[in-house]
Amino acid sequence: MEQIIDKYRGDSTAMIAILHDLNAAFRYLPREALEIVSDRLSVPLSYLYSAATFYRSFDLEPCGEHEIQVCLGTACHVRGSERILDALSRRLGIKPGETTADGKFTLKRVNCLGACALGPLVSIDQKHHGHLTIHQAERLLEAYKDEHD
Amino acid sequence: MQTVTLTINQQEVSGHPEMTILELARESGIIIPTLCHHASLNPIGACRICLVENEVNGALLASCVTPIASGMIINTESSRVLEHRKMILKLMLASHPDSCLVCDKGNRCQLRQMAAELGIGSSELDRIPQTAVTEEVNPFLIRDMSKCILCARCIRACQELVIEGALDYYGRGFKAKPATLFKSPLENSECTFCGTCVALCPTGALMEKEEFYRGTIGTVVESTCPYCGCGCSISLEVKENRVARVKPAAEDTGPGTLCVKGSYGCDFIHSPDRLTRPLVKENGSFKEVSWDEALAVTADAFSRIKDKHGSDSLAVFGSANCTNEENYLLQRFARGVLGTNNIDNGSSLYYAAARQAFYDSVGFPGITYTLNDLTGTDLILVVGAEPAASAPLINYEIKRAVKLHGAKLILIDPRKTKLTLFADCWLRPEVDTDLMLLNSLAKVIIDENLVDREFIARKTENYQELLDSLATFSLETAAEVTGVSLEQIRLAAGLYATAGKAAIIFGTGIMQQLQGTENVKALLNLALLTGNIWRKGGGLRALLRECNAQGACDMGMLPDFLPGYYPVEDLPARKKFETHWQANLPSKPGLNALEMMQMAGEGKIKGLLITGENPVAGFPGSALVEEALASLDFLVVQDLFLTETARLAQVVLPAASFAEKEGTFTNLEGRVQKIRKAIEPLAESRPDWKIILQLAAAMNQPLPFNSLEQVQKELEELVPLYKYDWEEKSPKEEDYWETMAEHRLPLKRFPRFSPVEYLPPLKAPDTQYPFILLAESALFHSGSGSRSSKSGRLSRFSASYFLQMNKIDADMMKLQPGDRVKIVSPVGELPAVVEHSESLPRGLVSLPRSRSDYPVALLFSSPPETSASSSALQRCYVRIERSCSDEPEK
Repeated sequence: MEQIIDKYRGDSTAMIAILHDLNAAFRYLPREALEIVSDRLSVPLSYLYSAATFYRSFDLEPCGEHEIQVCLGTACHVRGSERILDALSRRLGIKPGETTADGKFTLKRVNCLGACALGPLVSIDQKHHGHLTIHQAERLLEAYKDEHD
Repeated sequence: MQTVTLTINQQEVSGHPEMTILELARESGIIIPTLCHHASLNPIGACRICLVENEVNGALLASCVTPIASGMIINTESSRVLEHRKMILKLMLASHPDSCLVCDKGNRCQLRQMAAELGIGSSELDRIPQTAVTEEVNPFLIRDMSKCILCARCIRACQELVIEGALDYYGRGFKAKPATLFKSPLENSECTFCGTCVALCPTGALMEKEEFYRGTIGTVVESTCPYCGCGCSISLEVKENRVARVKPAAEDTGPGTLCVKGSYGCDFIHSPDRLTRPLVKENGSFKEVSWDEALAVTADAFSRIKDKHGSDSLAVFGSANCTNEENYLLQRFARGVLGTNNIDNGSSLYYAAARQAFYDSVGFPGITYTLNDLTGTDLILVVGAEPAASAPLINYEIKRAVKLHGAKLILIDPRKTKLTLFADCWLRPEVDTDLMLLNSLAKVIIDENLVDREFIARKTENYQELLDSLATFSLETAAEVTGVSLEQIRLAAGLYATAGKAAIIFGTGIMQQLQGTENVKALLNLALLTGNIWRKGGGLRALLRECNAQGACDMGMLPDFLPGYYPVEDLPARKKFETHWQANLPSKPGLNALEMMQMAGEGKIKGLLITGENPVAGFPGSALVEEALASLDFLVVQDLFLTETARLAQVVLPAASFAEKEGTFTNLEGRVQKIRKAIEPLAESRPDWKIILQLAAAMNQPLPFNSLEQVQKELEELVPLYKYDWEEKSPKEEDYWETMAEHRLPLKRFPRFSPVEYLPPLKAPDTQYPFILLAESALFHSGSGSRSSKSGRLSRFSASYFLQMNKIDADMMKLQPGDRVKIVSPVGELPAVVEHSESLPRGLVSLPRSRSDYPVALLFSSPPETSASSSALQRCYVRIERSCSDEPEK
């Protein structure tokens, strides 16, 4: 925590970068962490909260071990990524934005991952899997499940 | 200055370069519709309703945020502008619920007004209404976010005007809403329910709860808030002889803001507990009688006591909540008709110390004030005050000065107050060692040669005496006694002395000490040393608890001063009043309020008239006060309610509230402000000024007034302080003091330095009572709580019985939050519920001074004889016992 803030030398303009690092370290932004950042950067807590709710890449609830991001940017959308999201959602038994009860997976819809040529695109733990069909996406999910069982 | 010339609607106009198109258009009389824009908030261009077209390049610009540029050809109502403006509004309406018919905002809704103006009926857009009603348990306001248009007025009000920061945007896009941190309900947030956001919300998204009437109201009466000494301007919205709503009135001095008391606490006016008819006690119980009978009984009793025991067996205790005119009449009645100087008002309990200090140092007991607000100051020193509770408007001003205008802030307080977050330097002295600390600041300023030599030489007296008194002063000892480090003392002294314009704000925390007078003198020394006493943006201000504390004193509601602070012993001044009043006036100072109670107990005061005060609930040693008042031959009380004090009276006269009469209040800056009659007096109640006139007439010594104007005329004639219309003729900064001294004040000399010495407590604290209890002002209450506890909303929301204590202290006593305890002082005991507090150091506990039926004052003893002129204390020694029984709390 202190390390992350110190890395940016307590610079309030690095607020977003700090929040990113914290989100990665804790897999969400705990309230206590936000309070410490607010105190160290002299930025109002409400302002941090406002930013944390504005950007999709921040979480205010703890995330699962694996973060699945389904891209719903325009390119992926027209290639049917909505149906991939639905399929994964059914498989996992959770809605987008939720985490499975065992804490393994968090399913998210994101607006654009910036790799439109690869669409439809699913990113698991920051690793991109492009040109997916529904079937492939489901197999990919199973692979992650098995790998860790 | 550079000007920019452009064309708006074919009209050539020019302005200065920082102006926006909207500002210049408005100045030129061109109307551009707006929704998110508000004069007292920073423009953000959120709603885009104020679109205009620049015909040079066809750009559509949000006029509220676009600066003017030369050569622009602006059209505010081109067909493109109108088309876009309509579409923007249609889009807003498409996500807005269809509930106009049942929406409480009704015709006051600016969205609806705008739709009507632009001629938008049903639209072709598909509707996507939102659902979002936030459940709140607070009784003040309700949030319905489905009606929110994201104008961010509430957010800006919270962040820019009251600097609370309870609200900010949450989420983005269609889901964005103003929300509190973690979307918690308002009551769990920083929100103080000041009502500023509600007053500014253009739609039905933020609404007041529990109004008796929800429609549009035609009659609006401008008046002044009757609670604390800030004297905020309020607008009373009146319907069918009832005050339906209270809104902050726009002021020239700044944006209209109120606190929870002003916005939601005025419903005491229509409390069912209001007195409606005069009461006379017969065989121990009250009987309703006619006014004539009640006045006759009173007049008869006063005449009888005066004849039998002399004038000085009578006393009058007036109210700092009554108007200037009423106070003037009341003291004239006491001095001229009853013939006694036994006169005082409710603010004496804490204010007397400061008045004495000012009289000794400056030669004038009225607090000095400067004409402008705090915005222009460079540094603010806040001593022994929690303005967030006791003077919210000053709290906003301090925060705005610090946050928006870069002023420095020094705090001196053992408690961590809500201002601590904003402070550059927080000195945390041990309780009651403030004087030592203030002297050490003076010592540093002198030693480091930071004084304003020229000012001292030209405008002050007694400097050498101050130097002598501090010659042997040891900073090391000071640091040891106060517990504040030398570095911090040096830092604070340096900041204060080198700031430039430095204002001092002090509160009851410093006045209500044994050395209260000396404390204020030490503050005056600091101001004199640095030339800050009459400087614009400098000076000293006391935070006054009542709306007219300043005015009541100015009007001579004091045992030792005639109106305008002419001492009663001053023969020429007295002669002037005697000639005017055609009466012989007593020449010896009378009894102050605390002495009155004491003498009543000793049987030397036989008859007492109390207007609008509740000493049984507010005075230290309540039990003794109650006994003393009960032993009087005759007590008459004028009040809105049958208070604890009124119950002891032989005659109770129902008074009219501030909304039912005319007059003026003087706020803590010395600004004289009007209150205006909004509704007829409730039932048979009468304004206090009428009651006093009728009482004088009933005693066959009528006062020569038929109307308030006549009173005001005499008052202006006899009190030069009030002759001066300072709004119109504000003197220049440099000759402010001269103007004041020449025309308004009975002044004969320059301000004088006062050497003051810290005295350690006489006796060691009693080990039986290990804690020091502070009685603190509560945001949701005022004074002894007679009115605020009759406000349904205020009294329901605020709990009065929580004892704040440091967590370590609580842990050592194995007390958990929520545990019931008994607070025992040498003179009384009170049940309470424990609450942990981060703001108190160990050894200190605090209770809010709140409801009249939970009188914290009963724990306090009367002040010792040695400080007759000084104030009642705000602290006492107590012990805390775990309560065994499960008796229900009040």
